[in-house]
Amino acid sequence: MIAVLGLVVGVVVGLVVRPVVPSGVEPYLPIAVVAALDAVFGGLRAMLDGIFDDKVFVVSFLSNVVVAALIVFLGDKLGVGAQLSTGVVVVLGIRIFSNAAAIRRHVFRA
Amino acid sequence: MSLLTNVMEHSLDEGYAEAAARRGASGPSRLPRALSSKLGLAAGLVLAAVVVTLGAAQTQVSAPAEARERQKLIDRIQDETRGADALQKDVDSLRDTVDAEQQAALKSRGDGDRLVELLAAATPVHGPGVELVVDDAEEASSGDTGGPRESTGFSDTGRVRDRDMQRVVNGLWASGAEAITVNGQRLTALSAIRAAGDAILVDNRPLAPPYTVLAIGDGKRLGTAFQNSVDGQYLRMLQHDYGIRADLSVRDDLRLAAAPSLILRYATPDPAAPGTPGGRSAHPQGAGSAGRAGHGASGNTSGNKKGEK
Repeated sequence: MIAVLGLVVGVVVGLVVRPVVPSGVEPYLPIAVVAALDAVFGGLRAMLDGIFDDKVFVVSFLSNVVVAALIVFLGDKLGVGAQLSTGVVVVLGIRIFSNAAAIRRHVFRA
Repeated sequence: MSLLTNVMEHSLDEGYAEAAARRGASGPSRLPRALSSKLGLAAGLVLAAVVVTLGAAQTQVSAPAEARERQKLIDRIQDETRGADALQKDVDSLRDTVDAEQQAALKSRGDGDRLVELLAAATPVHGPGVELVVDDAEEASSGDTGGPRESTGFSDTGRVRDRDMQRVVNGLWASGAEAITVNGQRLTALSAIRAAGDAILVDNRPLAPPYTVLAIGDGKRLGTAFQNSVDGQYLRMLQHDYGIRADLSVRDDLRLAAAPSLILRYATPDPAAPGTPGGRSAHPQGAGSAGRAGHGASGNTSGNKKGEK
């Protein structure tokens, strides 16, 4: 209940407050979005697996976002930013996919 | 591959498994019970939702801006294109005016200047002559690789080059041609045949093969004279050695269009020279020799056009 409330509050806050993203951070926003989605799907799957842990969820979410942004930042400094962000998106995308598959197996038993 | 396999197999954060193991016997607790951990979870979810929403919002905001910019650019391009079209139309109409004025001026000078007009390619002409079709060799590739010489452009020896066309035209002038078009482009005293990239240009207009050269002259004699000339032999050599196709045929009546327009900006008659002041009506020589002289000067397609005659 409180989880759904948190999600709704987050969406509302994002829409209403519309905090201005600093232009320095803007390039990392897409990566952060993918990392956040990955964390959410991972948490959902863990919940269905019965091993959910709120601390793990929050910490993994924050560290995923930060690490992904850092990798891309480093890549930008080294001139391989586009390639590295592709790599991050691929890895996180694969994780999202397999987590979604696991969730599907839980929900539909198929 | 092992990296990908690793990613596929460990899609779930291992922290969950470890945390579950730590809890161990206390049984699987699916969701946090304590209020503080509930709040922590909610905060994490709020953060996740904010990030995702922000990402979506950012895209929604920036997409229309980009589209607007794009549309603006498109509008500008279209505006400028319209402007350029209008200017081109102006140029065309002015050119037509100039042409008409030129024709009128030439006509007003009387019958003798009909010849000047003819020789300056300012008027369409017709008469007997020859038609010479020159084309690239069959196997000459135009663009695709894998040809016999694995090369494209003028490095392919099976292609007709600007030099070949220059020699052909030159040979026709030398053999007694009086008016020549190449693919419908009338050659004037100001015409140049040159190459740009892959194409042959006549008067800055690119031509596509096959190149049809129409030359007005004494049909049969012009043909044989050309065949026997150095340039005719050169063309035969091209045919023989490189497979370039050339076909010469005598025609009874050829129609040649006028050159688009002739504009001299810098050249003016020299008053000191005999015969030139007072306009061209004072042609000192007879019609025939004046014609020869006129064409002898018409030479930036070649140096020795009429000189050898």
